[in-house]
Amino acid sequence: MIKVIKPGIQLTIQDLGRVGFRHLGVSRSGSLDAYAHIIANRLVNNHDNDAVLELTVGLCELQFQCDTVIALHGADLNAKIDTQAVYPGWSYPVKAKQTLKFDTGHGGSRAYIAVKGGIECPEVMGSKSTDLGAAIGGFNGRALQSDDIIKITPYTQPWLCNKGALTPPKRKVIRLHQGPHHELLTPECINAFCTTSFTINPNSNRMGVRLDHNNSQIMQHSLSLHSLAVAPGSVQLPPDGNPIVLLNDAQTTGGYPLIGHVIEADLHQFAQFRTADSITFEFVTLEQATAAKSKLDAHLSQLKLSLNRYWTN
Amino acid sequence: MSTLPSIKILTNSSLLFDVSHYREQHILATQKKLWALSQYCKNTNEFIDLVPGMNSLTLYLKSASNLHQWQNTLTKLWDEVDDYAFESQHHKIDTYYQGEDLNYVANYHKLTIDEVINLHSKEIYHVLFLGFVPGFPYLHGLNSQLFTPRRDNPRVSVPKGAIAIGADQTGIYPEDSPGGWHIIAHTDACLFDVTASNPCLFKPGDTLEFVPVKRSKQ
Repeated sequence: MIKVIKPGIQLTIQDLGRVGFRHLGVSRSGSLDAYAHIIANRLVNNHDNDAVLELTVGLCELQFQCDTVIALHGADLNAKIDTQAVYPGWSYPVKAKQTLKFDTGHGGSRAYIAVKGGIECPEVMGSKSTDLGAAIGGFNGRALQSDDIIKITPYTQPWLCNKGALTPPKRKVIRLHQGPHHELLTPECINAFCTTSFTINPNSNRMGVRLDHNNSQIMQHSLSLHSLAVAPGSVQLPPDGNPIVLLNDAQTTGGYPLIGHVIEADLHQFAQFRTADSITFEFVTLEQATAAKSKLDAHLSQLKLSLNRYWTN
Repeated sequence: MSTLPSIKILTNSSLLFDVSHYREQHILATQKKLWALSQYCKNTNEFIDLVPGMNSLTLYLKSASNLHQWQNTLTKLWDEVDDYAFESQHHKIDTYYQGEDLNYVANYHKLTIDEVINLHSKEIYHVLFLGFVPGFPYLHGLNSQLFTPRRDNPRVSVPKGAIAIGADQTGIYPEDSPGGWHIIAHTDACLFDVTASNPCLFKPGDTLEFVPVKRSKQ
């Protein structure tokens, strides 16, 4: 068991998400930084889809009530087990009564804690992920609060793995597939979109990242479309000209023009942007998007190979 | 319906099948074909999700390697697909016409309350697609005499089970949510129950009718 002393801004249970129900209006949910999620799980020899804890910005404190092994990945939020500093990309044995405490940090927004054997909670529609909007999954469909008890299975064997995983660098240029509504938007609008530097609006969350910029006048429009499916990674352009990048908790249909779709390999970056970070967009070909994805997959495979010798002994 | 559908690549593993340029009067006929197409694709087991929108279907593939093959076959499938092959379910929704805005809607249209109830409950509605929140149906079939502009001030919370009218649409709220539509009635029907084997009462293409009932006991 793990007791929540302080949840911080938002602490939720997430796996890789709920799929197969979008036609019924059910969002994907799941870890925003799926890449950090998978690496954290691999570092403790879990299955990729095992549930982890996603914590936002830090200021979170957890007390372990049994022995286990944990791994951290994602943002570096200056974590400590009791007084010992611990880092993203490494695994650590933890004893009962020890405390894992996060301060804040500068290297990102969301940290992931994988626990050996995975976080235990009932599956709802095939997933353990917390859907905050629909109030389903995870811990009674809500973010964790002080004094909540998170269920895990104790792990008491010696822990010999001393391998770590690198944190991928933040990208400032986000790669996109071209959206289906380009011909409806003016060339000036598309051109402004490709050349503008956008900053992350504080009013961003697990549903989407809102972007501010100085060219919103050029990008304003009065298009109203029939509602169509949207998905994590869809970049909507509302009439005010300020784009929104939809993330895992976004609704399943929408009526704003879609100017692009973030390539799969870059989507996890949005989990880690902080308010006032700036980014630009670049349209790429399908081949470039596939190559970027293969590169990430290769990194994950390499990690699996290098860790395998610890698990087979 | 002579024009060809437009098929656009959204990502390495998703396609947008779009027939929104078809003429307005074919909304329902077009949507029926989309449901049938969606059903056909579902049966191939090659898709993670198939999401109908208004006159569109977005296809999320399990494997990116099949993208171009599907892009090339969808137009042919569209020609072949039989909209009558789609099996829909009909739902009778017990409806208490005692909504907070029922008087407003009647006054707005210079109708009596009974006339509003009659106009709303005599139609058969089609679930065009779902979205907004889990289980929320976008319905086709509202009588044009009941089209009512949305409220100037959206309610912070519309209660679960509220049946409301917004512009040319009517719908049922599956859970407490903010909303700008006019509440004309309530139902006890459960639209979203995660403990059920089919968590959502409606699926795209289903039909429903509102059956006026009196509240016998609280």
